[in-house]
This record gives sequence, structure tokens and C-alpha cells, in this order.
Amino acid sequence: MKSRMSLLCLSAAVFLAASAAGAAFKLPVPEKLTLKNGIVVYYLKTAEVPMVSFRLYLKGAGSAQEPSAFEGIAGMTADQIMKGTPAMGAEAVAEALDFLGARAGVSAADEYASLSAECLSEHFPRVLDIAAACLKEPAFLEDEFKKARDIRLNELKSSKDNPGRAVRYYFLKAYFGTHPLGHFPSGTDESLVKMTAADVRDYYRTYYGPKGAIGALVGDIEKKQALVLLNAALGGWKGADVPVTATPPLPEPRGAKLLLVDKPDATQAYWILGAPGHALGDKITPQAAVMNTLFGGRFTSWLSTEMRIKRGLTYGANSSLQPYRIGGLFQAASYTRNEKIGEMLDLLFDLLRKAGRDGFTPAEVESSRNYIQGQFPPTLETNGAKANAYVQLAYFNLGFDYYDRYLAGVKTTSPEAAKAAAARLIPADDYVLVVVGKADEIRDQLKKFGAWTEKKISDPGF
Amino acid sequence: MKKAVAAGAVILFAGAALLSASFRKEDIKVHRLDNGLKILLLEHHTIPNIALYTYYRVGSRNERPGLTGVSHFIEHMMFNGSPKVPPGEFDRRMEFAGGSNNASTSQDRTGYTDWIPAAALEEMLEMEADRMQDATFDSEVLESERQVIASERRMGVDNDNDAILSENVQATAIMAHPYHWDVIGWMSDIQGWRRDEIIAYYKTYYAPNNAVLILVGDFAEARALELIRKYFGPIPSGPTPPAVVTVEPPQMGPKRVFIQRDAQVPSFQAVWHAPAVHDPGSIPMDILGRVLLRGESSRLYRRLVRQEQLASSVFGGASRTIDPYLFAVHVKPKPGADLARIEAVIEEELAKIKKEGLADSEIQKVLNAVRSDFYRSLQTIAGKAYQLAETETAYGGFERMFTLMDDYAAVTNAKIIEAANQYFTDDNKTVGTLVPEGGRK
Repeated sequence: MKSRMSLLCLSAAVFLAASAAGAAFKLPVPEKLTLKNGIVVYYLKTAEVPMVSFRLYLKGAGSAQEPSAFEGIAGMTADQIMKGTPAMGAEAVAEALDFLGARAGVSAADEYASLSAECLSEHFPRVLDIAAACLKEPAFLEDEFKKARDIRLNELKSSKDNPGRAVRYYFLKAYFGTHPLGHFPSGTDESLVKMTAADVRDYYRTYYGPKGAIGALVGDIEKKQALVLLNAALGGWKGADVPVTATPPLPEPRGAKLLLVDKPDATQAYWILGAPGHALGDKITPQAAVMNTLFGGRFTSWLSTEMRIKRGLTYGANSSLQPYRIGGLFQAASYTRNEKIGEMLDLLFDLLRKAGRDGFTPAEVESSRNYIQGQFPPTLETNGAKANAYVQLAYFNLGFDYYDRYLAGVKTTSPEAAKAAAARLIPADDYVLVVVGKADEIRDQLKKFGAWTEKKISDPGF
Repeated sequence: MKKAVAAGAVILFAGAALLSASFRKEDIKVHRLDNGLKILLLEHHTIPNIALYTYYRVGSRNERPGLTGVSHFIEHMMFNGSPKVPPGEFDRRMEFAGGSNNASTSQDRTGYTDWIPAAALEEMLEMEADRMQDATFDSEVLESERQVIASERRMGVDNDNDAILSENVQATAIMAHPYHWDVIGWMSDIQGWRRDEIIAYYKTYYAPNNAVLILVGDFAEARALELIRKYFGPIPSGPTPPAVVTVEPPQMGPKRVFIQRDAQVPSFQAVWHAPAVHDPGSIPMDILGRVLLRGESSRLYRRLVRQEQLASSVFGGASRTIDPYLFAVHVKPKPGADLARIEAVIEEELAKIKKEGLADSEIQKVLNAVRSDFYRSLQTIAGKAYQLAETETAYGGFERMFTLMDDYAAVTNAKIIEAANQYFTDDNKTVGTLVPEGGRK
């Protein structure tokens, strides 16, 4: 594999910030359906394949609402919803969905939880029925909860075997501290041990309900039938208002916060650097995308060119921008063999300084604009991608013409604007940098970057 | 990040009767140039983009000791310059034109996948044709790229206990055939490939008669064909690449791999020799893989993860490979889990199947899954190109895509029982365990 996967995954994960539409492509405007209980579902008929995709965002059910002591409870609650109803056990649910070749699940993001279902059109009535039954009346059985908790504890443990995974966990804690956006979706050793099925049930009762829920249905299904099915499955769902507490302000690093995690058997050193990014819908979004594409967002980016293409230090190096409703996160990441980590971080800091100081050439900016526009249409090709776009844009009040405006912004981004975006978003002095590697072989190389806090990977927690 | 190298493609199929109008055999236009280049064209105008896939019939099965991993290395070097396109220019020009790409190498094929705006077609065809015949292998660039591969190996294998175990199990189960080594190659070979050997390998396998070119998306057939003729037509065909002659001898008894390492959690896997993609047994084995390992309702997930709670996950199954390869059961055990018990549970489940086969509903479940997976992938131009490319290279003809579902539907329980008894034997089996240092066997 040549290595673009990180970039592709990135554009799927943070698509709101990622890209923009080609000249001849627009996101089709969906129809708005309103269910009997007020749930809004955006609907679009497509006939490319005989399949449908359904999404439902549940306001307030995300990890940002979690009390710190119950870190991971939003993810756990979401996970347990599909583990059966009083009338249908967990295995029966899994069997029924697998039998139809369907995909259905619930997951928790920061602000909301999301139900997602995708199947052949002919199976949609049955799949929606099962998913809605689970959503409205989950059983939350003690036994299922314990199984899930066990799997999570094991995954946390095994993540320390893989430095590439471990560095992400350490980074989240080093950057966000106790802020809810730094919560592990899986929970932590501490929080999982304390959590019970009853806690999950309470969390569900408080945060799951139809009030404020926003859905999207895209695929090969007629509107009339869609409305009948959605009303039958979800239109009778009742519930009180969901309490939504505002997310506390994001931490802002002051100075360089440096953490070294010693993993004595590692043959490569893995690092992530983070600093404040921009919020969702911030008007700098198109210029930031043009800038980040050049800095670390594609194969010929600065990071990849200097670290991989010219020097062969690594298989991949990249940067990304993750926007939240309040604030955002800029990250750069890569890895190299132990003896090269000092050289690699020198390069990183040179490039960070250069971006804010010199900006980009007109040819670079033109290339980035072309790239973002050219890569945009495929990001909205599938039913699921369109459904995701509708719920995201509606949930965050960005408007269905968001991409048109975004693209227009990309198209007109000047070198000066890209430089200004770099000056604002590429950190110079204030950042968090985490390295996981064999301390005996890398400690001396790291000294010149400042004072490091050191942890052992065998220490409990992250 | 995805694993560096693909071990057997995931190909999905649907029968002609089950296909919707959006993907019909007769819409796929087949051409062949005089130099042997096969071309598949499918116009599709929903977005102003094109998926341009160039697949070469070369992978790690064509390698030999000393040159292991070289197919994958050449994949990397294909981006690193020719007399007309200096090192780095391929990607720079492609991204300037609004395109992106990836490439991957498996045991059986090497694929170059370009996702481009419609307007970039001519430039991309020109550059693809250029690197089919003229890659430079500049010495300095080659040395730098060698270290990228070494890094990829360290990331993908050496720092990943599951991958370490897989590589050892594969190399133990397969003794003689080139599937013995992983696609990434041994580290000493990576550090040792000579430039002249690399070039000779490239000249052998990178030729129009050993490639297939696939275009799906927003183009006009006549114009695309004209451009393809213009850029690919002048490339001379090469000699027929040598056949892979080594046949894996029958295994004479059960084999075991035991590794102790610094680890928080153990790893477990069991493999059995399995039939090649052309063998009629490959479809029953694929069905068995799905019933045993796919989804939370699968037999081994239920037994190992849910009922006995010995593991946190299971995955694996059959691969579609040109030569006989392995059916694999990968298990992520819980810390301290009894690995012998895991093996016993797997054997119990296989014994049941050898005796009774599968329930009709389980076979129907597989047919439903195959069909919905197929449509899911057909939602995109890239998915369509992928299906065409993988089927073409695995089966020697994309047309097989339109008949395979019928063969799946025709599999009887008797065939399942026959395949299970033929392949899931002790003599055919290799078991690998990796345990934390100080742990017991």
C-alpha cells in the first residue's frame, strides 16, 4: 500500500472540514418529513442501487454530557441499545440483522448519539422495526453489560501492545485532561469498574428521546412508504426534553507540554502534536482546508514530502483539523525508527515555523484548491454519505447550501488567506506533543525540545 | 491505517438475475489493444469524476527468496520517476489536476487506483502509460524508498503482535509455495534487493499484456478509447511472464507455532490449507468462513466471545487466491484465557459442521450478505472499478462476477459437509499462539 489511507479516513471522519464540491456537483436538497411526534427526517430518493440508508441523531446523548466519573458511559449506552429488547434478546437482534445482510448500530459522538441503518430496500421495514424497537425499549441486561465492559477493558489493555494506537490514547489525555472531549469512547479502567447496567439505564432515560432528534433517509424507497414506515416505527415515541449542558471551553495549551511514554520493546517512535483548531462553521473553514491540505493533508503535503518522500523517515506523516461546535483541534502525527526521532521532530518544528512565517506559493495554493474541489464529489456519492451530510448540516444549522458556500470559499482562497490561516492555526510555541517509544534510545534526542514528563507504558492508565 | 498489503481481495458477487439496471454486463465495454492490454470501460455520469484502475498480474506469488517483497517495492517506485516525469512529479501533477490515488499489492496482483476529475483523464492516462514502461529506479530515490518500506514493515508487522504471529503461522503452514512469505517481504530482503534485480523484475511483469485498464465514470467511450490508444498503443508487449511452478506439497501432520513476547494480551490463530479460487471447493469454504466468523451471529463469535467469553473478537475465513492458500481463524483472546480451550471450541464447531453441515437459514444468510455487500460497493464509481479489477485479476475475466452468485445459490449442504471434511483435518492444520513473556504454552 502506498499510504494514502490515512488521508482517506481523515476526509471521511471530518468531512465537514475536509473538502468542497467540483463545479458540476451539488448536494441534492432533500425533502423535509415531519413525524407525528415532531421528529424531522430529511428524505431523498435515489435509485442507483436497491438500498436505503437511515440516520437519526439524538441530541444530548453524546460523550460531552458524561460526568467525568462515568467516562465512556455515552459510548456504552449507545453500544447496549442494540443488545436486545424485552421481547427480543441480543442474539436474536444480531441474528435477524445478519440474516438480512443489514448493518445497524448506535454510536456516541461528542454532542449526540447516532443510530445508523443500511440495508436492501426490501428489508428496510424489518430492519427499521428492529432498530426502532431497540432504540425505544432497550433491555439493558446485566449480562450484556458485563460482556461489553469486559471487552472494553481488554481492548484498553491490548492498545498498549501497539504504540501507534497507544499514542492516540495518551495524546487525548495529555491534550484534553479531564475535559469531556478527551473522554475515551470506551471508558477507562477506572470508570468501567465503577459503571453498572443501572447507570447505563439511567443515562439512557435522561438523554435518549425523540425531542430534538433529526433524521435522514436516502435510497431506493418512495416517500409515501417511507413516511408510513417511519411513523409506525418512531412516530409514537414519547419523551421529555433532553437536558443539554453546554460543553465547557476547550483547554488552550500555554507553552510546550511534552510527554514521553516509555515502551521498551518499540522499534519505532510514534508522536502526535496538537494545538487549537477552528470551530464548526467558522468562516476560516475553506482557507483552513486549503492550508491544511498543503501542510499535511495529502500525499505531496509538506510533512509527507519532507519526512517520507525526500528522506524515507516514515511510511506516513499527516495533519488534520477536527472542528467541534466550540473550538477545534489541529493535529500532526507520524512515526519513525528510534534513532531518527530527533531529526524528524527538527523537521516538524522547521515546517511549523515556516508555514506561519512564509505561507505558501501561488502554485501551491492553486493546487490545493484544485485538489479539494476535485476530490469532493466522491465524498457524497453513497446513500450513507448523503444521509450523514443531511443530519450533520441540519444538526449544526449549517444549511444545505453549506458545501456550495464552502466550495466557493475554497475556490477563492488566495495565498495571503492561506498564510493567514496558517498563522492562526499552525502552532508556534503553544502545543502538546506526545511521543511513545523506547526511552533509552530516544530520550537524549528529545532533550533539546524542552522538559519532558516521562511515563512508563506499564503504569496504569494513560 | 490499513494494513500495508492486501491478503486476498474481498470480491463480491451477484447473479445476473439479481442485478439492478445500474450495473449490467452489456454496459461494460471490453477492448484489447494489439499489444495485449485489456481495457474495461463503464460510462457512469452521476458525478464529474472517473475511477481509473490499472492492475498488473504480479504479486508476491511471483517472487523468490532474496526478492521477497519486491512486487510491493515496485509499487512504491512507480511513483518515483521516469525520464518524462521526474521523481515526485506523478503525485504533484495528479494532485494539481484535482486527483488522488493509492496503490496496493497482494499476493496475486498489484493495483494502481486513481480517483480523478473527468478533466484530468488525458494527463493521467499519459502518466500511467509512461510508468508502465519507463520507471527509472534512480539509485538515490531507491535507497530512500527502501527505508520507507522498512518503516512500513516495522509499523505493520514488527510492532504488532497479531501480525508477527500471522507471518510466522503463514510461513510455517506454507512450506514451498511463494505464499510462504508475507507480501511486505523479509527485512533482510528489503535491505538487500539489488537495483538490477528490481529492474529485471519490473521489465518482466510491467507490460501491457500483463495488465488490465479499467475506467468507470464520467467519460465518453470513444474519446477515452482514442486516448488510451494514443498513450498505451505504442508500448511494446513483453514476453509472457514465467508461470509459478511450485506446488505446495501436502502437509504431513499438524504444525504449531509458539511465540513469547512482551505483550499485554495473547494472540491466537489457526489455519488450514484451502483451495484456490478456481477450485469448486472455494465457494463452500467462503460460505463456511462467513457462517463461522462474520458478524455477532456467527458460530465462533457466539461460542468464543459471548458464551464462553474466552475472546474479545474473532475474524478470518477463506481468501480468494490464484493458488491454494489458507483458511484462517484469528482470535483475540482475553488476557489469561485458556488457549487450549479456544482451540478445542473451534474444533468442536468444525466437528459439528463436518457431521451435520449448515442450517438452510445460515446458507440463506450468506446469500443475503453477499448480495447486500455487492450493492453497497456498487454505489460508487470506485466500488464498481474495484469489483471489475479484482474479479478480472482473480478469475481471469470480470464476467465471472455475473455467474458466481448462481454458484453460491447452488451450493448444497452435502457440498458444505464434503468441503469441511476435506479441508478441516489435523494434517492440514497449523496453530499459532503468542503469549506474554513468562506465560505458559
